[in-house]
Amino acid sequence: MFRKSLNLGVATLGLAMMLGGPAHAEETFKLGFLGGLTGYLAPYDQPSLDGLTFGVDEINKAGGLQGKYKIELVSRDMRSETAESAVIAQELAGAGVNFLVVPCDVDPAVAAGQISAAAGIPTMSSCASTPTLPGIVGEYMFSNYTADNLQAAALGDYAMKQGYKNAFVMLSKDTPYTQKLPEYFVEVFKKKGGSIAGIIEYKMGQQDFAAEVTKIKGLSPAPDVIMTSAYEPDFPAFIKALRAAGITTPVLGSDGIDSPTTLALGDVAEGVVFTNAGFATEGSALAKFFADYKAAKGKEPETLYVATGYDIVKVLDAAVGASQGKLDGKSLRDAVDGLENVAVATGTMTYKGMNRVPLRTVALNKVTGGARALVELVTPAAADVPAAQ
Amino acid sequence: MDIVLQQLLNAVALGGTYALLALGLAIVFSVMGLINFAHGELMTATGYGIFFGIAAGFPFILSLGMGVGLAVVLALSMERVAFRPIRRASPTIMLLTSFAVSTILHTLMQNLISARPKPIPIPDMLAGAVTIGAHQIGTIQVLSIVIAAVSLIGLTLFFRATLLGIGMRAAAEDFDVARLMGLNANRVIAVAFAISGVLAGIAGILWLFQRGSVDPLMGFVPVLKAFIAVVLGGMGSLVGAVAGGFILGVVEVLLRAFLPDALISYRDAISLSIVIAILYFYPDGIIPRRENIR
Amino acid sequence: MLEVHDLRVSYGPIQAVRGVSFSVAKGEIVALLGANGAGKSSILKAFMGIAPRSAGRISFAGEAVERADTASIVRRGLTLVPEGRRVFSQLSVLENLKIGAAANRQLRGRTLENCERMYALFPKLAERRDQLAGSLSGGEQQMLAIARALMSEPRMLLLDEPSLGLAPNVVDQIFDFLKALQKQDIALLIVEQNAETALDIAARGLVLAQGRIGKEGASAALRADEELQRLYLGAG
Repeated sequence: MFRKSLNLGVATLGLAMMLGGPAHAEETFKLGFLGGLTGYLAPYDQPSLDGLTFGVDEINKAGGLQGKYKIELVSRDMRSETAESAVIAQELAGAGVNFLVVPCDVDPAVAAGQISAAAGIPTMSSCASTPTLPGIVGEYMFSNYTADNLQAAALGDYAMKQGYKNAFVMLSKDTPYTQKLPEYFVEVFKKKGGSIAGIIEYKMGQQDFAAEVTKIKGLSPAPDVIMTSAYEPDFPAFIKALRAAGITTPVLGSDGIDSPTTLALGDVAEGVVFTNAGFATEGSALAKFFADYKAAKGKEPETLYVATGYDIVKVLDAAVGASQGKLDGKSLRDAVDGLENVAVATGTMTYKGMNRVPLRTVALNKVTGGARALVELVTPAAADVPAAQ
Repeated sequence: MDIVLQQLLNAVALGGTYALLALGLAIVFSVMGLINFAHGELMTATGYGIFFGIAAGFPFILSLGMGVGLAVVLALSMERVAFRPIRRASPTIMLLTSFAVSTILHTLMQNLISARPKPIPIPDMLAGAVTIGAHQIGTIQVLSIVIAAVSLIGLTLFFRATLLGIGMRAAAEDFDVARLMGLNANRVIAVAFAISGVLAGIAGILWLFQRGSVDPLMGFVPVLKAFIAVVLGGMGSLVGAVAGGFILGVVEVLLRAFLPDALISYRDAISLSIVIAILYFYPDGIIPRRENIR
Repeated sequence: MLEVHDLRVSYGPIQAVRGVSFSVAKGEIVALLGANGAGKSSILKAFMGIAPRSAGRISFAGEAVERADTASIVRRGLTLVPEGRRVFSQLSVLENLKIGAAANRQLRGRTLENCERMYALFPKLAERRDQLAGSLSGGEQQMLAIARALMSEPRMLLLDEPSLGLAPNVVDQIFDFLKALQKQDIALLIVEQNAETALDIAARGLVLAQGRIGKEGASAALRADEELQRLYLGAG
């Protein structure tokens, strides 16, 4: 108790010095972030926090959320350990955060969410893409990132439009992302009249895809397209082995391969089409975000997770507007759940009617000459998105 | 028949990489009883060496050399800083220390370089396939086989034909007596770490050729496989480590290739069961380190 | 040749050697006797710098060596043939010999010449020079262990239980050979359970009990000592 009041005192004092006027401690929005800043989640949670911090700094300069509520960001490293995630969620809930951002992976997000959501704190995973996540935890849990079923809908649509009729799918049961996304794709593709030539399983981190590729080569008839949500290091290894075996079938992938590695692969990756969370067309919000980020930090973000992390601040801004300044858990939760077409860095986001998994803009990219080229930006029709399962 | 042969070549290619890694682990284990789980970080270091070499504008081949060089420097430094002070400690302490070194290194890499993978552009000429008779085999596969073979032959020559190499084998078999004969313990152990660095570097290059990127956690899976290969071959036995690596690679590829679809998700379980079955019949590994008759 | 003054060796709290002093002259053969655990092996290890030396002085050929490392002790001409032979079973006979000469760079030019010398001394090793040492019989392994030690051109050889596990006729062969080494002015310090055999070739014996020298004297006198027979030397 003593410690808490001391903290509050220091915070108030700091704020008072900053504003140079009377303290308005009650108008601070306390935003908690807990993520894997070290360990296996670091590639996702580090950039998410980076974008979030950038967004917080930007909005605080403009006076805070809705110009009034300064954000106080508290971040903690859960070292990519699920148990640690729950412990820190408890700590941050105790510290009275208004909103909590939790790790990019389902298990630690659930562990944290079950504590914070039960305490009535609206909670959002930085970039977990499994659409069942909010349903598992409950009413106070939200997703932020482009969900697996959403990407699958966009990919299935695209495959149909290209006239592909017979698709081959490679998946791994090691994670929901590597398993479910291809399965959603199969669902969409079949529903639209396509057929599946075969499904092959791989093990994440297996590196060597010679055996799988030899199998694909033996298929008759050859498939029109190969779809997978494999990512580094599996995807580069797979596509190299595939092309080395002389198989030229088009390949569809998902946002996991949106990385410099894919673009550096050279000829083998040429023509690969993949979905991701956004594309910076000229004059777009994303292009502006990249430019602002570069102006502040001297370089462009390494990954789109920076932009989607930043998006969370935009969602919060809209939510505080919708709740008319009410910062209590219930009001905020209801506000986020009702958001429609919020303009964010990566496009637009809609929570209304989506069971807390946002409908987002999906970008279809094609690897062209070692760079991304935009195929199209789509927002799949809600009806085309397979039910989360 | 055609497919069988092709899959066998695939198996040998993967087995060769495992063999190099396992040999690196075994060589250090044999002279100081340490299973160095930070061996994987040596591979990762190779990746970053190559990445920064290319970024600094060095030619590809030279960058590869820098990668291996960095692995050797790192291997020697971890020996000097972390393992020398605990040389006389219990195996458990050594094991825990190697975990600590591994964790410290990949956390440093995550925080100082990047948690995100860094791309390593591989020349297009390595992306194609080679036609041997009626068979097509990926250039990288061929390279893996050739490089693994050359490394193993080179190492065999070193072990057979040089006094230092013979001394390493002697120390691997009976470190105390090797010391008694006046072999310098520090030197033997340092050479063992240097060799393990070279082997991890070469294996790292083969690995990177396939994956095209380096990230801080890259070495984790391979070091586990190498550990399995070492146990399979017989702890501390150098020939055994190579044999274990090849067997593991062949078993893995053949299961992936010929297991029915319904069973394929169990293939790691099956391949480990095969390993356990082999160990049941050969509890000390396939080619155990022979103890002296007393 | 070798002088030891008040040598003490402890393993943690356990004192294995509690103040031992003696000397071995050039070309002399001395037997170091005593029951199991009396501290014999610890003394040999202390000489070679591989046992923790808690206190005492050791000088070899007039130089203090109690702080020297093993390699430099071998270079000075003191070598140990370890208990249980401990040849490198995965190495060939020739490779084992090469390791014996590895400590001293100055010997490297003479390594092959010295190998030939060993083959002349032990014709059986010559026949098997390219075989793995592990495939040799126990007696041959003991010969190899001795030959390996001789490759460092020692002035004094320490032998730890050279008769252990060998058939009686083989033991005789080995000891005949050891006796012959005297002609080359190589001093020997032999640790043996088999006291009779050791005293046969030694001029003097030291009897160790609980880390101290209990008795010492000429071989003949020790053999005649009935109490000794009963206490330390086992069979009469």
